[in-house]
Amino acid sequence: MAADRKVTDYVTLVSNDGYEFKILRSAACIAGTIKKALDPTSGFREMEQNRVELPTINGVTLEKVCEYLYYNQKHAESKDVPDMEIQPELCLELLIAADYLDGE
Amino acid sequence: MIAGRGRQRIRPPRRGLHGDEVDFDNTWVTIEAAFREIHTKNASRLSYEELYRHAYRIVLKKKGEQLYKNVHDFEKRWLSSEVRGDLQQLLSPSLLADPQSVASTTANERRVSGEKFLKGLKQAWGDHQVCMSMLADVLMYMDRVYCQDHRRPSIYTAAMFLFRDEILKSPLSPGDERDLLGLLNHVILEQIQMERDGDVIDKHLIKSCVHMLDGLYADDLESEDQRLYHVSFEKAYLETSRTFYHAESELMLQESDAGAYCKRAKKRIHEEEDRCRATLMESTTFKIREVVEAELIEGRIHDLVTMDSGVHFMIDNDRMDELNLIYDLNARVDDRKSEVTRAIQRRIMAMGIEINNEALAASQAPAPAPPPNAEGGDKSRLTQEKNVNMQTVAAIKWVDDVLALKDKFDKIWRESFESDSLLDTAMFNSFRDFINSTSFPRASEYISLFIDDNMKKGIKGKTDNEIDQVLDKAITLIKYVQDKDLFERYYKKHLCKRLIMNKSVSNEVEKQMVEKMKQELGPSFTSKLDAMFKDMSISHDLTNGYKNHVQGLGDRDPNRIDLSINVLTKTTWPLESLGGSGDGHEDNRPQCNFPAAVDKVKRGFEQYYAEKHSGRQLTWLPNMGSADIKAVFPKVPHKGGILKERRHELNVSTYAMVILLLFNELPADQSLTFEEIQAQTNIPKLDLKRNLQSLAVAPRTRILIKEPMSKEVKPDDKFYFNEGFKGSFVKIKVGVVATGNKVESDQQRKETEERNDKDREYVTEAALVRIMKQRQVFAHQQLILETINMLASRFKPEVSMIKRKIESLIEREYLERVEGSSDDYRYLA
Repeated sequence: MAADRKVTDYVTLVSNDGYEFKILRSAACIAGTIKKALDPTSGFREMEQNRVELPTINGVTLEKVCEYLYYNQKHAESKDVPDMEIQPELCLELLIAADYLDGE
Repeated sequence: MIAGRGRQRIRPPRRGLHGDEVDFDNTWVTIEAAFREIHTKNASRLSYEELYRHAYRIVLKKKGEQLYKNVHDFEKRWLSSEVRGDLQQLLSPSLLADPQSVASTTANERRVSGEKFLKGLKQAWGDHQVCMSMLADVLMYMDRVYCQDHRRPSIYTAAMFLFRDEILKSPLSPGDERDLLGLLNHVILEQIQMERDGDVIDKHLIKSCVHMLDGLYADDLESEDQRLYHVSFEKAYLETSRTFYHAESELMLQESDAGAYCKRAKKRIHEEEDRCRATLMESTTFKIREVVEAELIEGRIHDLVTMDSGVHFMIDNDRMDELNLIYDLNARVDDRKSEVTRAIQRRIMAMGIEINNEALAASQAPAPAPPPNAEGGDKSRLTQEKNVNMQTVAAIKWVDDVLALKDKFDKIWRESFESDSLLDTAMFNSFRDFINSTSFPRASEYISLFIDDNMKKGIKGKTDNEIDQVLDKAITLIKYVQDKDLFERYYKKHLCKRLIMNKSVSNEVEKQMVEKMKQELGPSFTSKLDAMFKDMSISHDLTNGYKNHVQGLGDRDPNRIDLSINVLTKTTWPLESLGGSGDGHEDNRPQCNFPAAVDKVKRGFEQYYAEKHSGRQLTWLPNMGSADIKAVFPKVPHKGGILKERRHELNVSTYAMVILLLFNELPADQSLTFEEIQAQTNIPKLDLKRNLQSLAVAPRTRILIKEPMSKEVKPDDKFYFNEGFKGSFVKIKVGVVATGNKVESDQQRKETEERNDKDREYVTEAALVRIMKQRQVFAHQQLILETINMLASRFKPEVSMIKRKIESLIEREYLERVEGSSDDYRYLA
């Protein structure tokens, strides 16, 4: 499979309108779909490039997704976590994105 | 994803952001092409996100079922054409050759082609797993939504079934019905066989294939017991192992000795255990061990134990390691280790009986050699005495032999049998059995003699520790003895002689011994022995008391005779067995006529004793006593012509003292005949004869001269005082023939046993009465059982004797039969 040297700390997520988000690989991999795309044993293109293009998600939503991924990682171990603030107009798109990305 | 998401899955709206309809066929073409790339390991060209998106859309558009079916078909096609084809190419003719005609190919060829096949299969399986996991990743959304909702196995699982059906269950070739799975099993088994024969094989490779079998299931439910490894391979493995080890054990039994067999068997067991760890599955360890143990041990242990080089041989040659091995093997298949136990017991019995027979032979051997010139009863009597001596030696040898045997088996037990408690009991029983065997009735006497010998000589110069060891050994033997009462009788007799004649090396040790017996056998056993010691110490006090008393009388006679006395309680001391040997029951022993000087002392003591303990009857036993005499022999020419008077202190028996005193009053040239001596002293004939023998015949202590000079003493023989007596020491001890403790002659033994039997009858009666008094009414069978139990610590009573005693008690109206009941008794107060 692909060489391990390509496993970087940060990966790039790209929205359909061209925004790029560089986030921690560990946070990104909370999303099942991203995790599988970057799985070193499979060796897909995304893994080679450390870059996942997500043509179904726009920049605004992806930003919120990234925010959530970090939020999730930060609070993974704690209890009584405060709810994340989500604008109502983003809700639906976030839900779709979640269904698409999660896998878990 | 959003915090607070419930179990309800939120679905995207059916028509929405990606409203465009999906063209399934076109999309599938893309996906299929990508899958091909994945299978040919070109995944890096593909975008996971794109493929995932396609599959996502298809599922979203409710085409999940179609997608699932297409993927399934695709994978099936791939496996059945590409993978199967590749594998079939690996099947070399030598591999496919009928297992029955292996001879046509060399082992090495078969191993190489087998390994090639295994490698190919391992590769195919590894690829399949990786590809399927990638496919499953891409089709994640389908697994999550479609498979779950429709209760289909995940695509990964389905693909595993496909591998089983399309690869493992596929025929080897269009013309060959055997399937790959069968071949795989066969190849692995063949490799294992090669390893058993000493070849080196690729364990890791086999382990991979075994893992594959373990990861696949025979049915579609993936139930635990349906792993292919279990249902297919393991069964075959156990089967072939069974056949193999059956044959091997047969061969080994013929070719090697028991020790080698055990080593081999143990090695094989370890090998199989290692194999399960390194090559197969751990879960098989237990099963294969069972098979190997069944074939190598269970079926063979009997032959193994009893073969020429078996336990018998190992014991005789001290093969501790081999004994340990065979014990270990036996313990594996049998908690009770019955085969080894039986062999050990047989051996102990055989060796024990051999020792018994040796002792019997040694004690009887000289008997059938009567003097050819049978001069008379005396000569045969002497030989008999010699025999008695030899018997004593035989007795001590017997004890030593038994102890050596015990040491030997103790060592085996410690070193080879891991101090197994079952075997300990078994060995104990065997020792007890041969020691008490009916063909060898002398154990009690021999053991007591052994102690006697040690008390008198054996422990001289030994440290406390060593003495303790000797005593412990004796105790060990006593524990084996069933007829403890008989032993007690002998011990009492021997102890009695030791005490009275002052033969013990150490009184302390004597007491120690009794103390040990008390611990082992209970205080009731030793109470009489204790009483004997008590008598001795009382006697000591009495002697001192009397001495003071005499001094108090102010009698300063320089020729006064010192008296040392032992007053013995008649019931405690086995005095009857001390009567002159061969005298039989002589209740009214004729009183010996003491010389006046002695008689005065005797009367003096009687008076003194009567004052202290009125009403007690003293009976004098001169046959047991001894006396120290100062004797003056007239001057005779010594070396260099000097005339010298010689003084000797003679230590003689009481009888001898009486005899010698007769000569005091006699002029030197006068003689006395045997009959005259007898008439004057009233010493029993046999005792007199023996004493005269030691005074006139024994070369070193010839204080009397006998005419005619011969070993035998006849009624009209004449005796003179030997004025020319020469002794090299001042103190001379005149031994009386046969005073030591010796093995009993047959007649004595018979008497002892008769007395013992009589005692037993009393004890049995007492036990019966005690039980009946407590129970009032009791059934016959139970009564007998309880009686045996009660007496077990002393001896093993015979049932017929108990029955006789019951009858006798009924006759004497202690008991009666309960009317209307066939076998109940009632106690009559």
